[in-house]
Amino acid sequence: MTPPIYTGAARPEVVVEDLGDERAGWVRTATSADHKAVGRMFIATALTFGAAALTLLVMMRIQLIVPDATIIRPEIFDRLLSAYGITGLLFFAIPLFMGLITYVVPLQIGARGPALPRLGSLSYWLYLMGAIFVYASFMYSPSEAGTIAVTPLSEVSSPSHGVDAWAVGVGLMCLSLIVFAVNTLTTIRLGRAPGMVWRRVPLFSFASTVISWLLLVIGPVMLAAVSMLLIDRNFDGIFYDSGEGGAPMLYQHLAWIFFTGAYLTVLLAAFGVISEIFSTFSRQPQFAQRATAGSMVAFAVLGLLAWMQNMYSEPIPIGFLYFAMLMAVAMVVPAGLIFFNWIGTLRGGSVQSKPPMRFALGAAVLIAIGLAGEWAGSVVPVGWQIGQTGVAWGDTHFALIGGGVLGGFAALYYWFPKITGRYMGTTLAGASFWATTLGAVVMIVPVQLAGLEGMPVDVYKFFGDTGMSAYNLIASLGAILFAIGVILTLVNAAASYNGGSEAGHDPWGGSTLEWFALSPPPPHNFDLVPDVRSNEAYRDIREAVVARATELELPPASTAGPEPEPAAVAAEPAAAQAEQGAEDGSSEDDADEGEAGDGPVA
Amino acid sequence: MLALVPAAASAGALAPASPASPAADDERAAYVVVVVIAVLLAIGLIAGLIAATRGSGDDEPERRTRGTSGVQARVGAGLGVLAVAIFVFGVIVTESAREVEPTGADGLQTVQRDLSLPADAEPLEIEVSGQQWLWRYQYPDGTFSYYEMVVPVDTAVVLKLDSTDVLHSWWIPALGGQAAVAPGSDNQTWFKATETGEFEGSSTEFSGPGYATMRARVRVVEPAEYQAWLTQQAEDIKEAQEAVAERVLAEDTPDEQLEEDAE
Repeated sequence: MTPPIYTGAARPEVVVEDLGDERAGWVRTATSADHKAVGRMFIATALTFGAAALTLLVMMRIQLIVPDATIIRPEIFDRLLSAYGITGLLFFAIPLFMGLITYVVPLQIGARGPALPRLGSLSYWLYLMGAIFVYASFMYSPSEAGTIAVTPLSEVSSPSHGVDAWAVGVGLMCLSLIVFAVNTLTTIRLGRAPGMVWRRVPLFSFASTVISWLLLVIGPVMLAAVSMLLIDRNFDGIFYDSGEGGAPMLYQHLAWIFFTGAYLTVLLAAFGVISEIFSTFSRQPQFAQRATAGSMVAFAVLGLLAWMQNMYSEPIPIGFLYFAMLMAVAMVVPAGLIFFNWIGTLRGGSVQSKPPMRFALGAAVLIAIGLAGEWAGSVVPVGWQIGQTGVAWGDTHFALIGGGVLGGFAALYYWFPKITGRYMGTTLAGASFWATTLGAVVMIVPVQLAGLEGMPVDVYKFFGDTGMSAYNLIASLGAILFAIGVILTLVNAAASYNGGSEAGHDPWGGSTLEWFALSPPPPHNFDLVPDVRSNEAYRDIREAVVARATELELPPASTAGPEPEPAAVAAEPAAAQAEQGAEDGSSEDDADEGEAGDGPVA
Repeated sequence: MLALVPAAASAGALAPASPASPAADDERAAYVVVVVIAVLLAIGLIAGLIAATRGSGDDEPERRTRGTSGVQARVGAGLGVLAVAIFVFGVIVTESAREVEPTGADGLQTVQRDLSLPADAEPLEIEVSGQQWLWRYQYPDGTFSYYEMVVPVDTAVVLKLDSTDVLHSWWIPALGGQAAVAPGSDNQTWFKATETGEFEGSSTEFSGPGYATMRARVRVVEPAEYQAWLTQQAEDIKEAQEAVAERVLAEDTPDEQLEEDAE
């Protein structure tokens, strides 16, 4: 915009009048490259698609509520099935964590913003476009090719462009993941506050780094897979056509590399979230920050190399299967160490049963069950019997519901006060937690029992003579309970966005730097970027403030013992920034800003 | 209704179908061992987490010292040993499940052409072909059947699997694990039924709208009965083919006649 030509005396208010009309709030959010606006859009969109995935799940479970049901036609069921997997994993769980990473990581590492803000924005729009592509196909003919669209079925089924829409949607999502990973990696490598060496990077941010490397590996793989699928389907390609010399197993390998990586992404993000929450709500430092961080790296590497764990029944030379099995069973080491360190962090702490803590604990429990099941199924002869059955379905759902739904919700409850400045309701949170957790167990366990009796995955019906009626009935009721639980949290988030009680800048007593910023943070995040001297940067600041306040003999309210009273907490960022800013003498403004924040609601 | 779960569980439903073939036997043994360890691990972790949350209740508890790398190394090494043990165990059981056992004394004594194996290891080879949404079985003498496979008891049966359209997976839980096939990637598996009876299973690879109906049954009979069945089946097929040929050759068969026959 050309600056207005003004020749009179200096009157800044005239300049303001000359600016165009202020655009509506949602337009500003949608067009902003600010990581906080992008993160909020990510989270809102992901929760919307979470509701979509939930609808698909409940519809499929309703079809399976009685044997030989004809409520939903097989073709329609296959359409629901084909959309369900990618909606739950690629359009809900991963984008929810992408949004949280986009929002929180720059704050957590003490950066004023991401390194490449426009890439962050681009990754959101690519994600939305991909999801819209898949759902727009419901208006004419969506994919009927199954959860991961395995060839040759995806080449011969859906002669209209349903599978093409699916492939384009997944391809756009892969681009989004790659762009997101580049932005996140650059931000974390270049944007860390002074003194924040790698061993002091908070575990959620560290998990984001691991995830980003993982996404950089798997994104292009799936992009190649769906590109070849599109060429095969539309331009007479023969990449997967064994009759013409193509490779019949190629798509399965590529797709499983991607979906294994996507699965690991959700789990690693949940590991990061749970680590942060356990430390905050037990008032203890990480028991072993470096061992946990290292375990995350090992978990990602081993897990990705074990992609053939999903393909034990395929005609693959046995040596490769042994390799996959070795990688998969070795995952017990990093996974076990992560859990061991969580236990170490919690032990001896003062555990506060706040909503984020509950959800994190529930997530850890479901992930433990799911990973133990996956681990058992990764022994080749066991996998031959339970792979692709209700048992495997259940293990995957335990892990992904634990990581994506409970872990994602734990993160949402944890950072919601930072994002909006308000708490989410506690009563709804409690109801949601129990309905979600119990619903998941009641839904999954019967399906696993049916799987042991021979029920395969993805079937649109089961037969009355197979003795699975009771299992499926209970599972369907569990799915409904689970859906109620998820909806309660969605309602809670929507209602609390403007209506929750005000939370202040540090409602939980966190020890990482995002709690140093105001809630919601200003566009530049921090007035002052602090020096980091340990892996609990904000705790150091808080202690320094208390020490300084004691030294200056401020009024008693601010000097009550080692743990400051709420009033003191409220004044902290101001005081802390004042302390740090004292050197350059800019303390006055900061103090004013800090006093506007509110302390935690008692 | 909820009472059915523990009831079914106590009836042995917590493991795959009771095996009727050595391979399924191995798989079930592996399942029991590994699942028991996995369940113990999961229970240990969950109990540890829950117990750890029973904190002191102070607002500001004494801060623990951080874990030393020695503790990490010991826990990691312990888990590593477990992983290696499970891996070795897995390889041993896999090899055992893959090895075709020779036909027993009660089995079908047959010598197959083009094989130089000792007579007592002669397996019965059946070609299994998956198509949307039915399995077709071709026996050594050229006889074939659909959906239901008939095999002699105590006889090593090797299945040569292929597919004519999309990905399918052969799976009869009581006789052994899954074997998936797609056009251009053939597969094989084997079983040796230890008892007579009927065993059901279904495909576990999503294959389109009729996927849920893609089931299979193996009927295990005495060798004599198997031979009788083969003869009967061959006769039936021949009869049916002759009837069809007759009708096709009779070019001037009126349409009404065809419809009547069809009924």
